[in-house]
Amino acid sequence: MQLAQVILNGLLLGGLYAAMAAGFSLVWGVLNIINIAQGSAVVLGSYVAYFAWRYAGLNPLLAVALAGPLLFGAGWVLQRFLIQRVIAAPVLITLVFTFGMDLILNNTMISLFTADYRKIEGVFPTVPLHFGALTLPVDRLLAAAAGIGVAFGLHFYLHRSRLGRAIVAVRMDRQTAELMGVRVEIIYATTFGLGLAMAGVAGCLLAAIFPTSPLNSAYYLHIAFVACVLGGLGSVLGAVAGGLLLGVVESLGALFVGAEYGTTVAAVVLLLMLFTRPQGLLGRAGYE
Amino acid sequence: MTSRGRLAIAIAVIGGLACAGLPLILAGEPYLMRLVTMFSLLLVLAASWNIVGGFTGYPSFATGAFFGLGAYVAAILQAKGVDWRLALVAAGLAGGILAAPVGYGVLRLRGHYFAVASLMLGTILKELTTGWSDLTGGGMGLTIAGAGGDPEVLASFALRVSLALAVLTVLLGAAIKWSRLGFGLDCIRMNETAAAGIGVDAQRLKTYAFILSSIPSAVAGAVYAGWIGYIDPTDVYDVMWSVKPIVAVLLGGVGTILGPVVGAAIFVALEEIVWRNVLSFSAGGLGVLIVLLLLVLPAGVLPSLVSRKTRS
Amino acid sequence: MQRRTVLMGIAAALVAPAIVRAQGSDELRIGAPLPLTGPLAPEGQKQKRGYDLWVKEVESAGGFEIGGRRVPVRIIYSDYQSATPRAVQACDQLVTQQRVHALFSPFGSGAAKASSSIAERYRVPMIAPTASSREVYDQGFKYLFGTFTPNETLTEPLADMIMAAAPAIKRVAIFSRNDLLPLALSAEMKKSAVKRGLQVVFDEKFAIGSLDFASALTQMRSADPEWVFVGGYVNDLVQVRTQMRDLGLKPQVLTMIAGPAYEEFTQALHRAAENISSAAWWHPAVRYEGVDIFGKTENFVQKFLATYSALPDYIEASAAAAGAILQLAARKSGSLEGPALRDALASLDAMTFYGPISFGPTGQIEKLVPPVFQIQEGRPIVLAPTSIAQGDFRLGIT
Repeated sequence: MQLAQVILNGLLLGGLYAAMAAGFSLVWGVLNIINIAQGSAVVLGSYVAYFAWRYAGLNPLLAVALAGPLLFGAGWVLQRFLIQRVIAAPVLITLVFTFGMDLILNNTMISLFTADYRKIEGVFPTVPLHFGALTLPVDRLLAAAAGIGVAFGLHFYLHRSRLGRAIVAVRMDRQTAELMGVRVEIIYATTFGLGLAMAGVAGCLLAAIFPTSPLNSAYYLHIAFVACVLGGLGSVLGAVAGGLLLGVVESLGALFVGAEYGTTVAAVVLLLMLFTRPQGLLGRAGYE
Repeated sequence: MTSRGRLAIAIAVIGGLACAGLPLILAGEPYLMRLVTMFSLLLVLAASWNIVGGFTGYPSFATGAFFGLGAYVAAILQAKGVDWRLALVAAGLAGGILAAPVGYGVLRLRGHYFAVASLMLGTILKELTTGWSDLTGGGMGLTIAGAGGDPEVLASFALRVSLALAVLTVLLGAAIKWSRLGFGLDCIRMNETAAAGIGVDAQRLKTYAFILSSIPSAVAGAVYAGWIGYIDPTDVYDVMWSVKPIVAVLLGGVGTILGPVVGAAIFVALEEIVWRNVLSFSAGGLGVLIVLLLLVLPAGVLPSLVSRKTRS
Repeated sequence: MQRRTVLMGIAAALVAPAIVRAQGSDELRIGAPLPLTGPLAPEGQKQKRGYDLWVKEVESAGGFEIGGRRVPVRIIYSDYQSATPRAVQACDQLVTQQRVHALFSPFGSGAAKASSSIAERYRVPMIAPTASSREVYDQGFKYLFGTFTPNETLTEPLADMIMAAAPAIKRVAIFSRNDLLPLALSAEMKKSAVKRGLQVVFDEKFAIGSLDFASALTQMRSADPEWVFVGGYVNDLVQVRTQMRDLGLKPQVLTMIAGPAYEEFTQALHRAAENISSAAWWHPAVRYEGVDIFGKTENFVQKFLATYSALPDYIEASAAAAGAILQLAARKSGSLEGPALRDALASLDAMTFYGPISFGPTGQIEKLVPPVFQIQEGRPIVLAPTSIAQGDFRLGIT
């Protein structure tokens, strides 16, 4: 029973991880950029939800409609006018570049909002649901479901809409897509915008459960990293699978190895995955 | 004499003079001593990162992992009564011994995958160090035996040791670059598949480079531990220990012998200026610096100067 | 290589103006390195609020009285980014470049210990407002003074009180953030529990920055403890409490340090905060009649409330007390010279809004009795020491 509860806890957590990893994975896959600032972007999304709740009483799950477009715009502009200038540079340069962006964004948030933890309260019922001996907190259930739902939404957008299919085309073969008349810079900007929008959405969902502070960003980034590699690069459904798997692995690790080793276990699983199946759970070989 | 030989002798002579002279010149200026020590430690990390990141072209974020490992190995040994010199050697050995299997494993990955895997090494070591509290003190940290004496004596001592280590690391970089190993690494950086085609055993050479790079990083951690006198996992496994050397090398010039020297000096100076003048935006200031650097001077200071000279 | 020398020269030249600027002028300069960014930023902000309130108070009184004249006071802040080496560097810079007369130490025991050797070497008194571990003070230093009593002075009275209220309790669970202060407190808690014949059925740590505790708490639930002790900072404790509720974990006694002392703790938890017991070095409910600039405790609380629209907690009070203590010592010594100030601090025996101030031979505060309290009807109620008790201990949590 304890085991079932721990696995359930992990799945609920994993739903949130999925939302965090989806955008990160998309940007990595299409632009070949690891966006180190993703963790801080998630925190920014959390602040949008927090202030919308604080000053307008908005439910954090609805704040998604606010944070998503806002961060999409920011991401679009950022990519179009800044990141585009280093996009062709080696991995090292783009990594350090987004690291610098992360330092700026994070420190700005500390300056504006302080590092104090802020928490949205009183929105969801505090009495958990019971299924036999299993307990299921309402807020976590809703947020996890929303996380997976939004990730699936992104997946269908990529595969059904015109723009989405152009993004997939650029990811698979940039040169050919260019020849077919796809404007790659616009696709890049849109993709980066979508990546940050997903971060904003994940931030809102997290703000419903966890307290918000710029100090959370490193942890969020770590989650996105691991979930993304576990699931397979650039694949949104892979990110969902990776997120759920990571949630369960962390929870089981905490149970069997010790509470302080949850992230260590996840990191070790990540390394094993890199050595044995670098394309991830759902990725296809040759895409990295 | 070849220009290479002259450069090597110049590094050794100027470095030796600096080791002998600077502690005397700066005797009344403990704060400048501290800055030069910081510079030296950063230079050690930058020059050793350059072996993997610059010569071989693998974007390693594992520098901080070896730095932290070295700090802990030395601190634990000194707590058990081991002489500091032996502790430094042991720290270097520990770094090399860890680097061999890890390097052999992660160096099979490329690009972002390699970067992520190397970054995870620090995360794992940090959590293991925090968790193994019987040995390491865990989150309570560890105080280095014999620390807490006269800070002026300690400052001059730390300055001497770290400068000497920095000179050795720069010389090590030069030796590697001019050796057969360096030639092999060059081939790997330019085209690994082609390198294998002309008979370069890429996997072995990359692992050598990784090991050689991790040893000075670990010794730097050991020197740092003795200098500051107190270490805890969040301090010594800070990801900044991996990032700052990279920024320094990017500033100076990737893959050059003197690039780390120039870059580390500029970095320490800029960081000090930002830190003094901006109360609580120093991390953000560093971010602005990084972004501007990569937009304006992507090749680094030294290569930019050199190319301007050749053009004119 | 030559280029390096040139660059170092440039660096030195850039640094030099600051050295000159700091010389002379008749004012009291205090150096205060703070973790304004990085993981300790919330704690750093608290310390700063305490210092700022004290400075404001001194300014409205027209300055600092030393040997019959009034001197303005200036705190020079430095952000050490929650990194110990930067903290040590900041102390060095403040002493050797800014020529400060005294230092308020960086946050926590680790950084205080690492930087105390600077104070000792340059004979600048250092007051540590947030360092409680004995090891910080056992170095034989003469210039270090601390306003927190050792950690067992928190856990011992707590254990006494709980054993008196619920003598049937046998099983205790300990859960702690893997960080300096929470770990030290948890270690003391374990000693206090074992000493009283209790069985420790769960003893785990969680990593700094953890947000999810569900697995560990599920495991704790299986161990079926009657008394749960959690060590961490306010954010950890709010999360642990919320997730205990989510998992239906209901021990008879729930003790948490060092979060319930903060107002944001009760604000975040509402009903779930009820009956959580805790201890801290100071609490706004204590009542002292000080001879310092703040005087009565009520007066300090009032002023703090008026300035920041929040009740002060023990960190903010301790930081303000560091200033008040320095002021008392300066009045006594009549000089800003390090050794004179140091002797005045060492021989100080005075009442303040924060509590009785006198430092033992190691420099750690002696007579202060940390209050034990419990959240009742949304407010922290002091239960011990009996001289200031406001209510009785209650069993059970919601």
